[in-house]
Amino acid sequence: MKHLLLRLEPVIWLLFGGGIMVGTMLMTAWIAVVGLGAPMGLVPADALAFERAHALGSSLIGRIVLAALIALPLWKGAHHTRHVFIDMGGADRDALVAPVLYLLAIAGTVLAIAAVVRL
Amino acid sequence: MSEKKTFRITRFDPDRDEAPRTETYEIPVDPDWKVLDALNFIKDEIDGSLSHRWSCRMAVCGSCGMMVDGKPTLTCKKALSEYGSEISVEPLANFPVVRDLVVELDGFMEKFESVKPWIIRAKERAVEEGTHRQSQAELEEFKQFSMCINCMLCYSACPVVANEPEFIGPAAIALGHRYNLDSRDEGAHERNEIFRGEGSVFSCSYANECSEVCPKSVDPAAAVNQAKINAVIDWATGFVVTRGKE
Amino acid sequence: MARAAHPDAMKPKSPGRTRTAPPMAPGQFPFAGRYRAYTLFDWTGIIYLLLGFVALRVVWALGNGEGAWQSIQGQLENPLYLAFHILSLVSVIFVGVRFFRLFPKAQPPRIGPLKPPPGPVIQAALYAAWVGVAGGLALVLAGGIF
Repeated sequence: MKHLLLRLEPVIWLLFGGGIMVGTMLMTAWIAVVGLGAPMGLVPADALAFERAHALGSSLIGRIVLAALIALPLWKGAHHTRHVFIDMGGADRDALVAPVLYLLAIAGTVLAIAAVVRL
Repeated sequence: MSEKKTFRITRFDPDRDEAPRTETYEIPVDPDWKVLDALNFIKDEIDGSLSHRWSCRMAVCGSCGMMVDGKPTLTCKKALSEYGSEISVEPLANFPVVRDLVVELDGFMEKFESVKPWIIRAKERAVEEGTHRQSQAELEEFKQFSMCINCMLCYSACPVVANEPEFIGPAAIALGHRYNLDSRDEGAHERNEIFRGEGSVFSCSYANECSEVCPKSVDPAAAVNQAKINAVIDWATGFVVTRGKE
Repeated sequence: MARAAHPDAMKPKSPGRTRTAPPMAPGQFPFAGRYRAYTLFDWTGIIYLLLGFVALRVVWALGNGEGAWQSIQGQLENPLYLAFHILSLVSVIFVGVRFFRLFPKAQPPRIGPLKPPPGPVIQAALYAAWVGVAGGLALVLAGGIF
């Protein structure tokens, strides 16, 4: 397992880098509008009405942006959560913890693609 | 020498002590002293059994690194006046302790050697072909990373070194990266395989603490993270280019 | 009080002639001094994981039709979700600021035939991209454009 993790490290690191770079930029807007603005009534009510939201999300660019917005932060999340375990002294259990976290990110990525395809 | 300062120094005698303990010394200090001068005063005048490493006293030899008030410090470089009336001196963190303030260096030497820190050539150049020529611009690309004095403060500051014993660590990766950037060198692929192997550069999570404590502004964190990018490019190139058997 | 490092930290392959005391971690690690920012940076990983899955839930609901969409919109008004999103916003801004500060010096002097621009230029470009991407997407989502 350790050997496999080492072999996959360049791919994981690229996805992690994407998560921290692109994920952070996209998530800033997502949180501000969908997570906070709309629920607090700070954006016009019809902005995220079903018809409009669905039209935006199901366009080609919309699908790509939404998939990236969901999947990339999962990779930054999985990789850094792995580091949290190591920081807390769990390096000897890394061969168990890391695969679980990355499988979570893989599952989330597959579901993200599914979620935008079925829009 | 009217001012007095109290030093709380870690002591450990492997023949007598179960675990390291702290001993306190109150000594008169000169306003111009460095931390190392105080340690030498204690050893010369108060307690000859105190063990610590030092040599050049001018921040070149890299032997006198210790934790001063909890921070990895080159003791010959830091003025005592920068500290309060009580100062703690401990052996470098993240290293096994041989005695008092002296740490075990062999693990570091092994990591150092593992990155092949020498110029690798596919084919040696014959003497009659003359010397390798390098432009100023080519030198500038790696010069900063060649200024390391092997003081190991970066290893002492690194949270990954503390937790992952295999990690090659800041100074050694910076040195390997320095050769990878050297226009005379042809061993980058070999070293990139080492960088992707056990003790991988990707273990680094960019705490940047190595660079914060580096007394020579080598910026090992920059080197390690540049090495990650180059290791990934080298890995991706492998899918496109067929390399000869190495 | 410092805590112990991994017992094998910086241990040589063959032991020396005398017994050594085990290595200690740097005294301020993980939560004091400058290590605090680094440790928090790693801990934001947990928030990013949750954030990704919350976004997945929202987009999944959008695919389930109008009823599901209105239901998830209502759930997002729950104070727990609001608190989570406030924490998340703080986290992504913290991550962006720290990462974009550390990013320029991580660029090798040459990437293939390319020479990256000077650090301050890279950093300015990153901030411009952040403002552009986040601002643009926020405007679209909030109904300002399109």
